[in-house]
Amino acid sequence: MASGTKSKGTNKPRGKTGSVNKARRSVVGSARKPKPWGMILGVIVVVALAAGVIGYALMTVHDKEKWVVAEDNQDPSENIDGVVRVKYDSGQHVTAQQRVAYDHSPPLGGPHDGTWADCNGTVYPKAVRTENMVHALEHGSVWIAYNPDKIKGKALNTLKAKVEGQPYMLMSPYPGLDKPISMQSWGHQLKLTSATDPRVDEFIKSLRENQYQNPEPGGRCDSQDTGFDVTNPPPFVAEKPDPKDPNTVGMDGKGATQATDEGGMNTGSTGATPPATPPATDGTPPASGSVPATQPSQ
Amino acid sequence: MTTDSRSSSSRTFVLVAAMVAVLLVGAAAGMLISTASTGGADAAPGGDSVDVGFAQDMRMHHLQAVTMAGIERDRTSDLELRGIAFDIESTQLAQSSEMAGWLTVWEQPDLPAPGAGHMTWMSEGGTHSHSNGEGGQTTGAVQRMPGMASTDELNKLRKLSGAELDVYFLQLMLRHHEGGLEMAQYAAEHASKGYVRNLADKIVKSQEAESRLMKSMLAQRGAKPLPLS
Repeated sequence: MASGTKSKGTNKPRGKTGSVNKARRSVVGSARKPKPWGMILGVIVVVALAAGVIGYALMTVHDKEKWVVAEDNQDPSENIDGVVRVKYDSGQHVTAQQRVAYDHSPPLGGPHDGTWADCNGTVYPKAVRTENMVHALEHGSVWIAYNPDKIKGKALNTLKAKVEGQPYMLMSPYPGLDKPISMQSWGHQLKLTSATDPRVDEFIKSLRENQYQNPEPGGRCDSQDTGFDVTNPPPFVAEKPDPKDPNTVGMDGKGATQATDEGGMNTGSTGATPPATPPATDGTPPASGSVPATQPSQ
Repeated sequence: MTTDSRSSSSRTFVLVAAMVAVLLVGAAAGMLISTASTGGADAAPGGDSVDVGFAQDMRMHHLQAVTMAGIERDRTSDLELRGIAFDIESTQLAQSSEMAGWLTVWEQPDLPAPGAGHMTWMSEGGTHSHSNGEGGQTTGAVQRMPGMASTDELNKLRKLSGAELDVYFLQLMLRHHEGGLEMAQYAAEHASKGYVRNLADKIVKSQEAESRLMKSMLAQRGAKPLPLS
């Protein structure tokens, strides 16, 4: 095609068909002897090179973009194998006396204490009350829970290095955990066996402060004057909450307190005065109000 | 002889032309990739868009909540209320800063123009009505957004203490949350940017939950909500 144009230029314009025919004749005549293998090979090499460069560029871009949270990539953790996803309503608070009967262990969302666990890159040496940890998830934190019998020494230090001083990160032992490591973000969980698994970083990249997955990203992580003492946090309770206990709140935010009060009868939890909160009329957990929070005294 | 040299020079020409064509195609593809990866075609919403109107009005609305929550946080002796006030203060400050960031990138003022009124972005050219901030409805600009506290109310809050402070804070903040709901709901449906609709929706959900909580806390204290302004 390029040769046609060229011939047309060199020949005197004698009408389109004539010149093209003549050009074709001359090209065919000269190309009849050897096939232009050199040219064919050259074109193939150039095309292959271009395809390679473009393909590589596309792959590099895709690889970087894969973990970038965006409107068309709202949950990059979909690229990670083994992530459990559950949808939860946000903003349901319980008091320091109440316990939530969570649907997962460790929990990855649901009703939580009105006070959040400090989540400014906080490494807790001891296990912390779960209801406070879940509030930190609501603010967009990633919580690394580990089984203290399985994760020690080097593995523990590897995890600590990913948390210490990192905003919206917190880490604590979780006695009885069924896997060595369990990572939580609001509505997301990934259980792992190794601290060097690349999915640890991928989970953090995908979900920490992710504005599409967390109810209140940008919520506070400092805990001063809130009643949560980061140097002496409320302790973890290993036993599952008793569903008959008036202080137990279900995943729907409804507690045994309301149920018994509304039914007008006592379940017989021996003389236990229900918290001095009237039943919430609209399905929210009762707030503590007059009940002093049992936070560690100073 | 002449034919040979001519055909070999034309062959060189073809080869060069083919290489140039391939390079051009490659360059075009490269530009497409970089455009796609930086979102170059993403135009900023204009001054009269829902996105800009919402960001400016909601930012102003949020900043008053930050003020009220700060007063309660500093002055209350109720641990639970201090926690909620701290929570509201920091979440709404973070959200208002996010909106200021958008407005900077969109090259728009980060607050509504003085005296221009509010909520015209919800009017749809005068065909859609919204609260007028005084208990009625209007299709035009509103001078005081629903739920906003007056200077007198803020000063009263500053002077109270103890149980009276807690109740008045709950009343003002509940009214404030409920007043802002209409704007957030509208933006969650009508804003052009997905990230704006996302934040508006988040505000609707978290403030509805907080409103339920504050209602129950008011009831515990034997107090009633204020009428919506």
